[in-house]
Amino acid sequence: MKKLLQIALGIVAAVGGFVDIGELVFNTQAGADFRFRLLWAVVVGVIGIVVFAEMTGRVAAIAGRPVFDVVRMRMGFTVGLITLIASLLINLITLAAEVGGVAIVLQLLFDVKLGTMILIAALGLLLIVHFTPFEGIERIFGYLGCALLVYVVAAIHLGPSWHEVGQGLIPNWHPSALYAYFVVGVIGAALVPYEVYFYSSGGIEEGWTEKDLGINRANAVLGFGLGGILSIALIMVSAQVFAPVQVDPGYLGTTALGAQHSFGETGLLLALLGMLFAVGGAAVEVAMSGAYTLAQFAGWEWGKYRGARGAPRFTLTWMIFFALAFVIVETGVDPVILTEYAVIFSVVALPLTYLPVLLIARDPTYMGDRANGIVGNVLGWLYFVIILVVALAAVPLMLITQAGSG
Amino acid sequence: MAEQQDRMDLVYRVLDDQLVDVEGRRCGRADDLEFEGDLGKPPVLHAILSGSGVWYRRLPLRLRPIGERIFGSGVLGRDEIRIPWEQVDHLDTVIHLKAKARDLGLGKGDDRLSPAIAKLPRS
Repeated sequence: MKKLLQIALGIVAAVGGFVDIGELVFNTQAGADFRFRLLWAVVVGVIGIVVFAEMTGRVAAIAGRPVFDVVRMRMGFTVGLITLIASLLINLITLAAEVGGVAIVLQLLFDVKLGTMILIAALGLLLIVHFTPFEGIERIFGYLGCALLVYVVAAIHLGPSWHEVGQGLIPNWHPSALYAYFVVGVIGAALVPYEVYFYSSGGIEEGWTEKDLGINRANAVLGFGLGGILSIALIMVSAQVFAPVQVDPGYLGTTALGAQHSFGETGLLLALLGMLFAVGGAAVEVAMSGAYTLAQFAGWEWGKYRGARGAPRFTLTWMIFFALAFVIVETGVDPVILTEYAVIFSVVALPLTYLPVLLIARDPTYMGDRANGIVGNVLGWLYFVIILVVALAAVPLMLITQAGSG
Repeated sequence: MAEQQDRMDLVYRVLDDQLVDVEGRRCGRADDLEFEGDLGKPPVLHAILSGSGVWYRRLPLRLRPIGERIFGSGVLGRDEIRIPWEQVDHLDTVIHLKAKARDLGLGKGDDRLSPAIAKLPRS
């Protein structure tokens, strides 16, 4: 019973923690520009993150290896170093975007100057990470992020054309670079690598062993899978609220208005609360992922479970991440623009972390009889091809469409 | 693992792996391996080399000068630590060492920073 409760709580946390600023930006814009036509891209992205996360969790539980341990071991030093540098830069841009997102939501809630809110956001998140144990961090943000479920209710309440929704779930094509750019963005927003760095390191923080493979599977499949419903709901609300009046939701506050349209002030408050904790939780995950990757690559002691004194360089690294993100957002750069760059460049770097995880997950030398089976291998390689195609297309599409504005 | 009776793929199983000291503390990686032997004789694994000073030697030739500037040039005892193979207790998913990190010269970065971090509340 206790185990079932633990699994259920983990799933709820994963659902609430699934959405970050990347999903909020890309999915809302995708719905406004292409109505329901990009729903299938969410499904492709969500299955991808389920496959990737399940493998990283299994490798952590069986081989005791987090993602960057595997990257360095299987890709060699030079490629591992390139992957590390790329991941650290992407993490920093993503963190700046998430901290900026938290500040915007706080500004919308309390109507205080944005500059002040950026400081409060960065400092508040830093203090939460320092004073809260790992499990607490995961749960607080995950549970409260579930307020975003208001979008699921709103998506149904608005009375969508279910025929159109069904058609959107079937892969379809539209002959425009903008459409292709949003396909890449929506898939990329679901597959951001920091989620798996955090997930696999979290497995080791929580001391996963072979006995926890059920928890891993439930969290990955149900947690991320159900979290994907939030992404679908964001597109559906945007398709019904913003697309008919041709509103471009280029501002984070516009996304919140989608819930207000259905449920008035209560809807708006729930949406803002959900955004605050979902984006705040993502910021924490990104900062810690940055520290995990660097510590794992260099072989330093790491982990919240060691305490700040037990893992000083790891602790200092995530603190520096928050400080740098604060400086970047304070320059006045638009967090939504930062998000678009972070998601697109994440997609480009994705194969470098996905491939080594796949190679270890299918290797009986390390995984014994828990190595990928036929289904796992077919899905794993299929997604590697999809990730490669998306990675190769990402930057050219970004240039052609001027980051979605062309 | 990759062993076949008394044989082991060192690059696959040892190089780049995590070092863990006798107290269970992560304290570096097997950044390079040192062999002993003469021409015509089989090389014998002699020591593990660990530290950022080793890193530039792992880069492609053209990148080594810049790598040396960024990561250090490999001064023994400072940015390059030599761990005799006899100090390896056993291998599983990591390399377990027989001694404390401090006694082997490993984990100095954490040791230096620890007093400052310890001043933070609830650290």
